[in-house]
Amino acid sequence: MTRLEAAALQASSMIEPTTARTVLSVENLVVGYPVDGRMIKPVDGLSFKVREREVVGLIGDAGSGKSTAALALLGLARAPGKILGGKVEFDGRDLLKLPDAEIRAIRGRDIGIIVQNPRSSLNPMLRIGKQIGYAYQAHNAASGQQLRRKAIDMLRMVGINDPERRADSYAHELSGGMAQRALIAMALSSKPKLLIADEPTSGLDVTIQAQFLDEMWNTVQQTGSAILLITQELGTLANYCDRVLVLHEGRIVEDAPVREFFANPQHPYSQQILKLQRERGSSLGLELPEGGVKPLLQTRDLRKTFAVQHTKKTIQAVDKVSLSIGRGETLGLVGESGSGKTTVGRCLLRLLEPTSGSVVFDGEDLVKLPPNDMRRYRSKLQIVFQDPFDSLNPRWTIRRILCEPLDLHSNLSAADKNKRAEELIDLVDLDRTLLDRKPRGLGAGALQRINIARALACNPEFIVLDEPTSVLSPRARVGLIELLVRLQKELGISYLFISHDLTTVRYLCHKVSVMYLGQIVETGTVEQVFSRPQHPYSQALLSAHLFPDPTNRRVDKVIPAALEGEIPSPIDLPIGCYLASRCPHVVEACRSTPQTLEPVDTGQEVRCWRAAAGEITAFKGAHA
Amino acid sequence: MSSQHALSQSDLLPRRRRDWLFGLGLTIVIIVVALAVVGPYIGPYDPTLTTPNVSVPPPSLSEIPGLFSAWISGTLEAPPNWMGTDASGFDVFSRVIAAPRTDLVIALVANGLSLLLGVFLGLIAGYYRNTATELMMRVSDVMQSFPVFISAMVLVALAGRSTTNIVIALAFVYTPIYVRLTRAEVMSQKVRGFVEAARALGNTELSIAIRHVLPNSLTPALIQASVTIGFAILLTAGLSFVGAGVRPPTPEWGLMISTGANQIILGEWWPSVFPGIAISLTVFGFAVLGNALERRYDAS
Repeated sequence: MTRLEAAALQASSMIEPTTARTVLSVENLVVGYPVDGRMIKPVDGLSFKVREREVVGLIGDAGSGKSTAALALLGLARAPGKILGGKVEFDGRDLLKLPDAEIRAIRGRDIGIIVQNPRSSLNPMLRIGKQIGYAYQAHNAASGQQLRRKAIDMLRMVGINDPERRADSYAHELSGGMAQRALIAMALSSKPKLLIADEPTSGLDVTIQAQFLDEMWNTVQQTGSAILLITQELGTLANYCDRVLVLHEGRIVEDAPVREFFANPQHPYSQQILKLQRERGSSLGLELPEGGVKPLLQTRDLRKTFAVQHTKKTIQAVDKVSLSIGRGETLGLVGESGSGKTTVGRCLLRLLEPTSGSVVFDGEDLVKLPPNDMRRYRSKLQIVFQDPFDSLNPRWTIRRILCEPLDLHSNLSAADKNKRAEELIDLVDLDRTLLDRKPRGLGAGALQRINIARALACNPEFIVLDEPTSVLSPRARVGLIELLVRLQKELGISYLFISHDLTTVRYLCHKVSVMYLGQIVETGTVEQVFSRPQHPYSQALLSAHLFPDPTNRRVDKVIPAALEGEIPSPIDLPIGCYLASRCPHVVEACRSTPQTLEPVDTGQEVRCWRAAAGEITAFKGAHA
Repeated sequence: MSSQHALSQSDLLPRRRRDWLFGLGLTIVIIVVALAVVGPYIGPYDPTLTTPNVSVPPPSLSEIPGLFSAWISGTLEAPPNWMGTDASGFDVFSRVIAAPRTDLVIALVANGLSLLLGVFLGLIAGYYRNTATELMMRVSDVMQSFPVFISAMVLVALAGRSTTNIVIALAFVYTPIYVRLTRAEVMSQKVRGFVEAARALGNTELSIAIRHVLPNSLTPALIQASVTIGFAILLTAGLSFVGAGVRPPTPEWGLMISTGANQIILGEWWPSVFPGIAISLTVFGFAVLGNALERRYDAS
């Protein structure tokens, strides 16, 4: 069955949703954990239904009870938690009332589950084929050669190349994406009627994420299973789900078809997480003055290489990157993991010493500054890191954390520093009572705001934001993006926003540069790059990204072929274009000619001679 | 991460058992520390003076209540020898409670010294990894490859039997443990985000190492210290036992066991067994406390 046929089938089954049989019906499910003598109920009165062949998305913040609920559906709870009440009706039987042996037979056979972190879910001691075989054997009579053939068939079905060889690999020999697919193969081997997928793509790269979800969707269309897809990503909901459930404080607060959910969310929580989608950046006020802005920070031919241990080889992490960021402007730096975007951010602040090239900030080449002068400059250039849990000293109070930059760069009295700390905490919309707490126990959103407050302490002119929203839950993410935009408007700061999340980049950035293997392959305004990407890599990246737009679903359209193969090793880079081995537009000349950034008709600069010559077919981004 | 409700290991262990052990360890440690302060003064006899009553056995269990009331009412001409006396006429009980002054002080000072030195060297070795610090680690490996007891004995034998030399020897043999623990923790802490953030804020490397990395790297060494104190007491006693420790008549458990050992064959078990029990309880107390601390640390 092709994707389009499957989509048609899906659509036809949606016409009469009421006639579709209910596979799973949850009523008033309660799960409790005893904590200090009290019962905390992460799942408290959960009720919903999943129908045959339906893809149901379950979204909610961290701590809303998503994973606890997923386990409880199988009649499980992490010790010392207990299922306190309710009904989980599957195929007409209440799972919570079944004897252990019967419910075990249902788990894995009739209800498959895929959890986060694929590699730790595979047994490192068993070959992949064996593991899939065992999963199948647990519920079906089969033996030896049959099992192996079944495992290979399953691997082929989930889109793994060369399944015979992969069946004999161990978990550590698979990439994250492949491991995740092996898990789907295992979960689907006995054709379950329901597949529960708990954030199956967290930690995967954008392109792999989309491929994986495509595979899951396709496979399920073939086997006729229903999916309960637990996620924190609006993009995943919009592109793959038929219906959306919003979990908030252990309860379903909204249950709507996907288009209706995005068009007209009812619950305040849903409205909050969809705020940016609904406003579409218009009220964020990203307009820049006519005629451009004065450059604040410029890099020229920035290079960073790392020596590979025990060899004479080097890794080219950043290759001749030239950027320019104007005052009050945000430049987005996007690319997959390993593209060198984080290294660029570190090099700008000399947290890593660039191998060569210059970083000119306000007329001064930072690379040439002696360490003491560089330290003084640090009040003007700041950075906010990806992991908020890790970037604050766990032993210090928030007050001391916020005062540290003032200790280093100002002569304020203790009282003035205190006052400044209070100003800062107000500035990022946090409560002043937090000042005397330590970071422990605060949520990711609050911690990331504290990181931002600390970066702002000495009135910097430029901040590197290194994936600041990637570990945040949907609501905290929206709040942080709004905060960043507001701060920029009020304080006139410039940002370098490093991210793999194109949706956020689109809201937050004025310009965007796309990186691949340490090089910038395309740079232009957000409008230019998002609506008319010219470089084949940008096109691939954009087409793989899951934009939260249910009217333009990935599963409903023909997707241009994804890039073939894997990213080449940054140790032995090709002579010509780095993308040549994977590019659908490759010609012989690409393999031998090093590429340079050239302006193209649409306004941006592109590192692809064929795009510069207008030889690459236009691609409709249609998302800007 | 959506599993905010996943509970830490500590919640999964029966809470009462952990607290019971922690309480027991803490009680033993408090008693030993208190005895180190007042022990030599509260015993019924002077722990360093002999009495004419040689090899008096301890009172039998049935005699204890009667003796006790007689002692309280003051009708005895001399205080009873609760644990008997040894072959030289020392009162075993007075010496057992006076000994922590020697054992604990040696163990504490030696431990303190090795903790300070070890943490300092560990910080340097973990923060600045170069040929010099790698060389230091290899030297410490060599030191650790000798049994602690043998190294300490050789050092004391070379330097002479004095309390100072015992302290120095103990400090020397325990330092590598702290170096290694601290170094490992420093290496994992120095790559954390808040360290890079501190650098981005304009701290000097020295200030990052001392203000950010060091305080976050102390816990393993401090937990180890609690366990090591117990073993240092054992080692101090062991050195005395083989004749490389403090000199008689200093009240010291190992020495007491050693001098009493000759009498065991005659059935006079009390001069050795009581100090032996005292050592066992003390080491147990510190070890349990250390374990409890470690579990709490792991849980957090």
